[in-house]
Amino acid sequence: MNERIAIIDGIRTPFCKAGGQLREVSADHLGAVVAREIIARTGISGEQLDEVIFGNVSQPSNAANIARVIGLRAGVPQRVPAYTVHRNCASGMESVTTAANKILAGEADIILSGGTESMSNIPLMFNKKMVRFFEELGKAKTTVQKVKVLLTFRLGHLAPVLGIVEGLTDPICGLIMGLTAEKLSREFGISRQEQDQYALASHSKALAAIQAGRFAEEIVPLPVPPQFKSVIIQDDGPRANQTIEALQKLKPYFDRKNGTVTVGNACPLTDGAAAVIVMKESKAKALGLNPLGYLRGYGYAGLEPERMGLGPIYASAKVLERTGLAVSDMDLFEINEAFSAQVLANLRAFESTEFASQKLGRSTALGAIDPDKLNVNGGAVALGHPVGTSGIRLIITTLKELRRRGKQRGLASLCVGGGQGGAVIVEVE
Amino acid sequence: MAHYFSLSIEHGIGWLTFDCPGEKINKLSASALAELSEMIAQAKTASDLQVLVIVSAKTDIFVAGADIAEIQNIDTPEDGYAKARSGQSIFDQLASFPMPTIAAIDGAALGGGLELALACLFRVVSDNPKTQLGLPEVNLGIIPGFGGTQRLPRLIGVQAALPMIISGGSVDGNKAEKLGLADRCVSSAFFRSEVVRFCKECGSDEGRQRILARRQSNVKGQWVEALPFGLAMVASTARRAVILKTHGHYPAPFVAIRSVVEGLKLSLADGLDQEAHRFSELVGTPISKNLIALFFIQEELKKYTGVPAGVLARPVRHSGVIGAGLMGGGIAWLLSSKGIAVRIKDVNWNAINLAYQSASKIYAKLVENRKMTRCESQLGLNGISATTDYSGFGTAEVVIEAVVENMEIKKKVLGELETHLREDAVIASNTSSLSVTEMASGLTHPERFVGMHFFSPVNRMPLVEIVPGEKTSPETIATVVQLAKTLKKTPIVVKNGPGFLVNRILIPYVNEAVWLLEDGAEIADIDRIMEGFGMPLGPLALADEVGLDVGYKVAKILEAGFGERMAVAPSFDRIHQKDDLKGKKSGKGFYIHEGIAKKPNPDIATLIYRGDDHAISSEDILDRLVLIMINEASRCIAEGVVEKPEYLDIAMVMGAGFPPFRLGLCRYADQRGISEIVGRLDTLSKTAGTRFVPSNALVQMTKVSSTFYS
Repeated sequence: MNERIAIIDGIRTPFCKAGGQLREVSADHLGAVVAREIIARTGISGEQLDEVIFGNVSQPSNAANIARVIGLRAGVPQRVPAYTVHRNCASGMESVTTAANKILAGEADIILSGGTESMSNIPLMFNKKMVRFFEELGKAKTTVQKVKVLLTFRLGHLAPVLGIVEGLTDPICGLIMGLTAEKLSREFGISRQEQDQYALASHSKALAAIQAGRFAEEIVPLPVPPQFKSVIIQDDGPRANQTIEALQKLKPYFDRKNGTVTVGNACPLTDGAAAVIVMKESKAKALGLNPLGYLRGYGYAGLEPERMGLGPIYASAKVLERTGLAVSDMDLFEINEAFSAQVLANLRAFESTEFASQKLGRSTALGAIDPDKLNVNGGAVALGHPVGTSGIRLIITTLKELRRRGKQRGLASLCVGGGQGGAVIVEVE
Repeated sequence: MAHYFSLSIEHGIGWLTFDCPGEKINKLSASALAELSEMIAQAKTASDLQVLVIVSAKTDIFVAGADIAEIQNIDTPEDGYAKARSGQSIFDQLASFPMPTIAAIDGAALGGGLELALACLFRVVSDNPKTQLGLPEVNLGIIPGFGGTQRLPRLIGVQAALPMIISGGSVDGNKAEKLGLADRCVSSAFFRSEVVRFCKECGSDEGRQRILARRQSNVKGQWVEALPFGLAMVASTARRAVILKTHGHYPAPFVAIRSVVEGLKLSLADGLDQEAHRFSELVGTPISKNLIALFFIQEELKKYTGVPAGVLARPVRHSGVIGAGLMGGGIAWLLSSKGIAVRIKDVNWNAINLAYQSASKIYAKLVENRKMTRCESQLGLNGISATTDYSGFGTAEVVIEAVVENMEIKKKVLGELETHLREDAVIASNTSSLSVTEMASGLTHPERFVGMHFFSPVNRMPLVEIVPGEKTSPETIATVVQLAKTLKKTPIVVKNGPGFLVNRILIPYVNEAVWLLEDGAEIADIDRIMEGFGMPLGPLALADEVGLDVGYKVAKILEAGFGERMAVAPSFDRIHQKDDLKGKKSGKGFYIHEGIAKKPNPDIATLIYRGDDHAISSEDILDRLVLIMINEASRCIAEGVVEKPEYLDIAMVMGAGFPPFRLGLCRYADQRGISEIVGRLDTLSKTAGTRFVPSNALVQMTKVSSTFYS
């Protein structure tokens, strides 16, 4: 990248466990709230925007090209175009890096980027047999034909297809995401105990951040439609009374017999949205803005789908090489906690010379990550992981924390279902 | 000649085009009707004419109706009867035309316009949303007099016709086709060619039969009329519906029902004559004159800007609302529903959520009543955002302040607000009675500050009082007047002063009701008498609705501003001290409220300072309540609080629910006679209190024997 991209400011909704407080709220509404809010807070008007880009994974059928729906709901003028990007769990991050490309290519000056996800609203679907049944019934003309079709009905027709399970199952290796984490736990020798300890720490760090009001800096409170009986002020994932004993009691969820991954040491399904406004550093200066921070560089990398959880190290290697920076140049790290096992596997890989030489083609390890600099305000195990949104949340959280600490540079990264990783390096000055 | 109509014949189709010269609409004035008569006669003699099509040259208008100014000038029943008969005879010419006649309607066909179409053999309408067919005469206190009450029920059946006639509502093209009112609804985009196609179809006998058969199959429920008591049944149902809606204050719907029902028992010719008689009973009556005058004032207000010509209003696309109470929420709904972005600010998110709640309730209700689509309501709700600081206020062109009615708090909030806005943003205060000039005194830019008093509930009350302070600039006034119009409200500029206009008149009326309680009147009697007068709610029920605390506060402000004549009744003080007596919102006030039901609160009696109980007549109750308002209204006019009596009257109709059939306080006083009013006030000032001493303005009017409207 020849010029840094300024991130003027970032905002997100509270993250809420799917099926909970935001179950009635659509992804486009969540997106519209953050889009409107970031416009209000930055003072950049909708008229100044050249594009709206949103990341979204589950792509609700009632809001095709959800970015366009969000733009119009947020009051962005109709003449400003919009499109949706999908890089699975990195979709939110993709909305920012795609915007950076577009700006550096001279195709746009100011872009509103965001991510949104309502995992509550991923549909249950009719199975193939039921769909066929409906088709036949539709074709039947006479009463006799109709009765004939009706008689073919069996209760089994009603067994739903769970969109969420299908979405979280890799179609190449056939593993559900939790089992890819189990694979890493075995290959890197990460015990159940280690994972639970990691999860507990995530909760306590997140709680401390909430209590200190740190997340309030990035959250816009959300009055909850349709009836507005409540306002959500903060994330509802972090548990105050979380104990190691309680975590240890949980049964493994994906490999019930010999597994180590539980719902306690993995991230919950989550609803939430986030948005930023981006432009060239020089443009921000010309407008007299004081950006939250800058995007220094980014990288995406592909790997084996069954080891998708290692995505961060591959992507980090790429962005470090591109920017000429080293792990030691980073003041903070955010690695998305899809699974505790997967984050811990990355930590081992970062410091492993063997991994570096075998997988990354390097003679030395990428560099050990100081645990005190990693996910200092907790991570997705506690906060949740709205898949289309997390990538942006990591960028916002990293930049706000760098500013609080008076530090300069951070690396934010996540693993991506399907066997990819994404990483960005952000700076505040 | 040929000012209004032109006739051209192409391929056997005679196009009789109505094009009122120099007007945007077509209306059936006496001279237009006379010319129509000649044109029909002329068409009759045209040798190559096979079908006659009546069509309009105006966009979105077929015929908007009769000339209302001409109706207003009818003073005697004889004149009314003659006018109706003459119109009927011209339409009869059309009805008896030897060739098929078609009304081709691509726009509004209302009143006389629809009656013209009904006299044709066929009606072709368009799917243009502006295509509306209706008979709104009852809204002007009269009934259709050119055959509407006779031809419509004969065409579509009495069950479909009666509701249209007595409600004055209209139907669109598709609905008209479904009712059998139109023979075909065609695309507006290809209107002319579709009409030609229709003409070809009705060129043959069998084509005509086919069209008539289809029409017959669309008309539903005519079997009811065939029953022995069918007509009587339908009529009595209609009468009940009218009473429910108007409490019997408006005679026109009842006369319309009679005209329809009686007419159906007669031949068409006799029915028409009967209709003309009934029309003549209503036209020229005070109620009709009042409703017509109200219509003209409303027309005048459409062009109202509140400022001298040349002052331009600034467009508003982004707005802010400070204070997320009931009013704030209602105003946020109003702005967002018209596509204006709204940013709400309050001190905490629970308060903000209440604003979302009230806005979403109004949206939900509109969707439920099919006044709005789900998409529109969702988009509207998404137009509202909120904050506890002033972030996002930098883009607002107008900010409406709706915090608690307290001068100190308002001044503090406004001072704070001003620093967060762009220099040319207008700040409007939704105050109901505080001085706008004083509120502006702490501002760096008082010229951009103005009062903008919405009435509660915002979604239902059409009036907005625009209150300039001493330093308010004309641009600021123009901007909020235009904004109020964009919001589909009726803005009226009034002078800054305690209670502005409507509350200054209305609160003494509520206060007087409490004085009446002290003098021995009963809660239920007071309200019943005023509801009988035509007010939607009696004064005590109104006080409960508004909130006794709110009403009391304004009453105190008025007392401080105007002194003794506005002294708050001592019992009102005592009632106000009871925390549980806040009116409907606390469940108890002058009434005990249970859901929508209410009964007089027996506890109130214990709080009333009863003087010597003496029987108080209904006349006295009514006059004390109405005349206290008239007395104050005359002062408002004299002091120039409002530009003219017409605007005062419409403000009372739109802001206080004063009965439209009486037009307003000033008109009521005129119709009753100013000297009689002054006489009654004199008497009351001796028996009921010095607050009834007639105003200098009224006394002056009697001296020169003038009236409010003269």
